[in-house]
Amino acid sequence: MIYAFGRGMLPWEKESAARHLPTYVAGLVYHAGIFAAIALALAQAAGIHLPNAAVSVIRISMAAGLCVGAGLLLKRLTKSQLRHISCPDDYAANILVDGFILAGLLSSWLPAALPVFHVAAIVTFLYMPLGKIRHCFFFFYSRFLFGSYFGRRGVLPPKRAAKA
Amino acid sequence: MKAPSTPADPLEEKIQTLGEAELEKILKVFRDKLPADAAANLNSCVHCGLCADSCHYYLASGDKESMPAAKLDLVNRVFKNYFSMTGKAFPRITGARALNRDMIREWVDSLFGRCTLCGRCSLSCTMGINIFALIRTARTALGAVGLVPPGLQSTVDTAIRTGNNMGISRENWLETVAWLEEDLQKETGDPRARLPIDRRGARLLYTINPREAMFFPLSIYAVAKIFYAAGEDWTFSSANFDVTNYGLYNGDDEAAGIMSNRLLQAAAELGCRELILAECGHGFNSNRWEAPEWLGRKADVRIRSILHVVAEYAQTGRIRLDPSKNPKTVTLHDPCNLVRLGGVVDEQREILGRSVQHFIEMHPNREKNYCCGGGGGQLAMTNFAKRRIEAGKIKASQIEATKARVVATPCHNCIDQLMELKKHYKLPIEIRTVCEIAADALVIPARPSGPGLGLS
Repeated sequence: MIYAFGRGMLPWEKESAARHLPTYVAGLVYHAGIFAAIALALAQAAGIHLPNAAVSVIRISMAAGLCVGAGLLLKRLTKSQLRHISCPDDYAANILVDGFILAGLLSSWLPAALPVFHVAAIVTFLYMPLGKIRHCFFFFYSRFLFGSYFGRRGVLPPKRAAKA
Repeated sequence: MKAPSTPADPLEEKIQTLGEAELEKILKVFRDKLPADAAANLNSCVHCGLCADSCHYYLASGDKESMPAAKLDLVNRVFKNYFSMTGKAFPRITGARALNRDMIREWVDSLFGRCTLCGRCSLSCTMGINIFALIRTARTALGAVGLVPPGLQSTVDTAIRTGNNMGISRENWLETVAWLEEDLQKETGDPRARLPIDRRGARLLYTINPREAMFFPLSIYAVAKIFYAAGEDWTFSSANFDVTNYGLYNGDDEAAGIMSNRLLQAAAELGCRELILAECGHGFNSNRWEAPEWLGRKADVRIRSILHVVAEYAQTGRIRLDPSKNPKTVTLHDPCNLVRLGGVVDEQREILGRSVQHFIEMHPNREKNYCCGGGGGQLAMTNFAKRRIEAGKIKASQIEATKARVVATPCHNCIDQLMELKKHYKLPIEIRTVCEIAADALVIPARPSGPGLGLS
């Protein structure tokens, strides 16, 4: 279980991450941007005044997340293999989350953009259990199942590193 | 590349005549066999596509349909259409699709014809989705209305009807054992050398893949020779000796349970303490790991692979191995069901390390090894044979890169596929089981002793 949530997620352990390192890193940056935007929305909703340093980190995370989010959308639009396994929900979720991050980023500079950010946050949170974004709930359970399945059989963690 | 379906194709004929009741039955079985865990897995796929090049089918062909995510998506779209609130409400947005004849054709073509249930995609999946288990569940649903490729289904039917998947009669089995015993006595010069049958109270009950009795008796002979050298107290069952279980592949849990239970019953009836599974990948996975699920109970005997036993003999000095007897360079193919899904990783290396002069790993190996293409029941599904050989290109390249002259693999399904790959890709190799190689390296003591000798 510990392996599934820890070392098992590292690029040198997971072949798909090692082979597609840019995409894997983009995914991490994208999620960092999403969590930064969520943190900003929650702080604003709770009336918490964030220190400048924290705001700067959140801005950088959101900006980076937005860039790679748009990049991942472009990749999905242009790669025929990805188009083959995509449905409208995949594009909608990406666009929605990109919009949420963009609104958050703008609102961190322009108070006038705050209502837009709040609306984007509400729509995103409402969409969360309905569409693809629900993987944020299932991710943890799936990794738990993965760890217990391969762990029980003595397959993972690997006894020795397999050279890829 | 779609496998051609002709009017003579019995599956196509069946699909064309499917009625509403049968379609409903597929859905009912699919839902009934889909536990909450599996439904959670279905909800986890983010369509990132990073699993694509973990699959030997996709790597070999580049077919989009062969991407693990695409195969999973076929299952997921049906799940959404009938069993997900949003899928029912917004089918176009969520990609939900009805299970109609076209979809069933895609299921058969992809879930039987493009997957060996090797589990490699699951290791690569960012979310950790047990993709092969979901594909097996869909196979179960298809099987409920007879939509299993005939070759695979007949293997299961033969095993259920006759007790083994090749329909070997008791007389033929006993005859094979008798002449192998004669050979062992000749080679060792020891009339006590036995291949015991139905010996009550023996410590180990040993099983075989029926292909060994029919086509590869030297695999049986090799293990018998090792048991003899170790002075082991062991036996075969005259009735239940088949380690294979194609119920794993056609998805029929009930049939799979019957087959696994036969071995447990044989061990119990003979009073054996351990059930030892021959070199058979899916046989190990089925009987060691899946059987408790199928039977709803744990086994009351210890179940191990013959590799565990031989590695233990070598480590404890119960047998002596002379690597100079095997001078050729040997590489190892890790069967998916034994290694990635079975957890038997080091034993075969331990044995080969002591049995051969030059051992070289192929890369990647162990749990990351590529499937040879022979699993998932593919060898029994002749309609997908061309695709199977094409997908084996990845394994052929791995073997070529080692420059080894001998490929060892502890699985007879893998051996059959590797033999076909050898012919097709003109590989200059011999293909052998691990125990065959170990038996060649055996240093047999003049008069071995042990509870298994001279008692029957």
